[in-house]
Amino acid sequence: MSRTKIKMTKEDIGVDIFAYAFMTILALLTLLPFMNVVSKALSAEWAVVSGNVGIIPVGFQLDSMKIVIASKEFLTAFGNSALVTFVGTLLTLLVTGMTAYPLSKRNMPGMKFILFMFVFTMFFNGGMIPTYLLMKNLHLLNKRSVLILPALINIYHMLIIKNYYESLPESLEESAKLDGASNFTILFKIIIPLSIPVYASITVFTSVMKWNDYFGPMLYINSPALKTLPLYLRDLIAEAEDVISRSNNLGDVSPEGVTSAAIIASTVPILLVYPFLQKYFIKGMLIGSVKG
Amino acid sequence: MDLIKTEKKSRQINTVRKEDQSKIFKKNFDLYLLLIPGIIFIFIFKYLPMYGIVIAFQNFNIFDGIRGSEWVGLAQFQKLFHSPQFYQVFRNTLLISIYKIIFLFPLPIFIALVLNEIRVMFYKRTVQTIIYLPHFLSWVIVSGLVINVLSPSTGIVNNLIIACGGKPISFLMDNHWFRTVLVASEGWKEVGYSAIIYIAAIAGIDQEQYEAAKVDGAGRIQQIIHVTLPGIGSIILLMFILRLGGVLQAGTEQILLLYNSVVYETGDVIGTYVYRMGIGQMDYSFSTAVGLFESVIGFILVISGNYLSRKASGRSIW
Repeated sequence: MSRTKIKMTKEDIGVDIFAYAFMTILALLTLLPFMNVVSKALSAEWAVVSGNVGIIPVGFQLDSMKIVIASKEFLTAFGNSALVTFVGTLLTLLVTGMTAYPLSKRNMPGMKFILFMFVFTMFFNGGMIPTYLLMKNLHLLNKRSVLILPALINIYHMLIIKNYYESLPESLEESAKLDGASNFTILFKIIIPLSIPVYASITVFTSVMKWNDYFGPMLYINSPALKTLPLYLRDLIAEAEDVISRSNNLGDVSPEGVTSAAIIASTVPILLVYPFLQKYFIKGMLIGSVKG
Repeated sequence: MDLIKTEKKSRQINTVRKEDQSKIFKKNFDLYLLLIPGIIFIFIFKYLPMYGIVIAFQNFNIFDGIRGSEWVGLAQFQKLFHSPQFYQVFRNTLLISIYKIIFLFPLPIFIALVLNEIRVMFYKRTVQTIIYLPHFLSWVIVSGLVINVLSPSTGIVNNLIIACGGKPISFLMDNHWFRTVLVASEGWKEVGYSAIIYIAAIAGIDQEQYEAAKVDGAGRIQQIIHVTLPGIGSIILLMFILRLGGVLQAGTEQILLLYNSVVYETGDVIGTYVYRMGIGQMDYSFSTAVGLFESVIGFILVISGNYLSRKASGRSIW
């Protein structure tokens, strides 16, 4: 920036001080609750219960973490979430991307109407109870598929992909057609490979949404064997004391320490992929928004 | 919130050859085949529940089903408009939503403006990485953090209050504080991420405008006021109108995870009320009527918001 070459005025210095101070405080406010919870998870019972734990562990121990990570419920829930996220994201991407392609051909007969039928569902829906009753009638309650099937298309994402397809040069498809390629071949061999950036962003959004989904499992899943991580965590927060007594652990753990440990164990997967996600979600936000 | 396109772009329709439409259809039959899974999907999971809305006009009984249940016309809606609980819920929904708009809408804009003044790229990127993060955590995790941090006996916030000589506050059990907790926790989770769109918009402003402003003697604050803010004005307006369209969504999932019967008075909103009445008490018809009321108002708000946005800035979501 050429701005830095010019001599700093009083105003410049003031703005700088404010900007750095403000952003530092903001970053600290974001991080402090995490640090507090991490140190609670690693602190001894007496320290947690007496409220002595700030952002540094007091009476360091790993028992709370061990109880959570070794518990069968946690591992089951973790596995369920991973499975639903993986299969759900894959299928959603396939169906969403596949549907977006014909709808990007707006001059084909009937396409505008069909597109309208899709978009309409963004703004009006049957609501919680009719949807719940439908799942019940379809015998989808307490099945993993209920966490995957009702979300097979995300209309927002479909529109983003559709807009992206439309931005690709038409000549590509025309020349493929002259070579006798079918629309299927064109989509899967030419269009989708060219759309990797947008698919990468949408993969990030979809998988995070699936991993974090709480409302769906809460409505449709009762069976302990099918619980996902958010459900497990909610129940644990409600009944941490039972978990400790069940674990037969005589160590130095507090209910809050265990809850904290569970919060951390459920956050770690997101934290691990987060640095890799960042460039894609920023790109995704931009493809979807400030365009044109 | 995504998907903004200019009107110009949406009008740019490919030229249609004067070919017979049925001929195009036959030639591209496989193109229509691609639509089949999607159409089956929206028919079953989106349009069938819309048919289920009719139970709002019935005294629905799960054993008799939609066909066998008694029709009661608008009786459920009469019950709804005569119920003091509904007014409380409606009022809570609007209040929580409006508080969130007042306190949380300007903040991301401010963050973007301040962040833009930071010239040390490493520092800027680090801060960005940190403030985007909470958006990617589920409400369950965030509510766990909130409960933990606000705990009256062991939470860090109350420890600070006690250290300063105050009395501990049960934030989540107190009708005076509950809405504040909702606004603050939503702010903690989403404010940084919401700034992305403004950060991107600022990056798109022509640098020559800043040079010109400097030549005219504008300082950094004046540059913000006269160049940066006007530069992102249309995005701000658009985001604001879109936000107003969702004013009946006060954050059902967040509230469901944070509230309890003690704070129904200030925290119960339409979404949580529909859940409690419907799934909890199995009053399906009444609950559907409440949900329909919300959907219709929400639909009208979104449609008019989009219309206003197109009129005002030429941008719209469809």
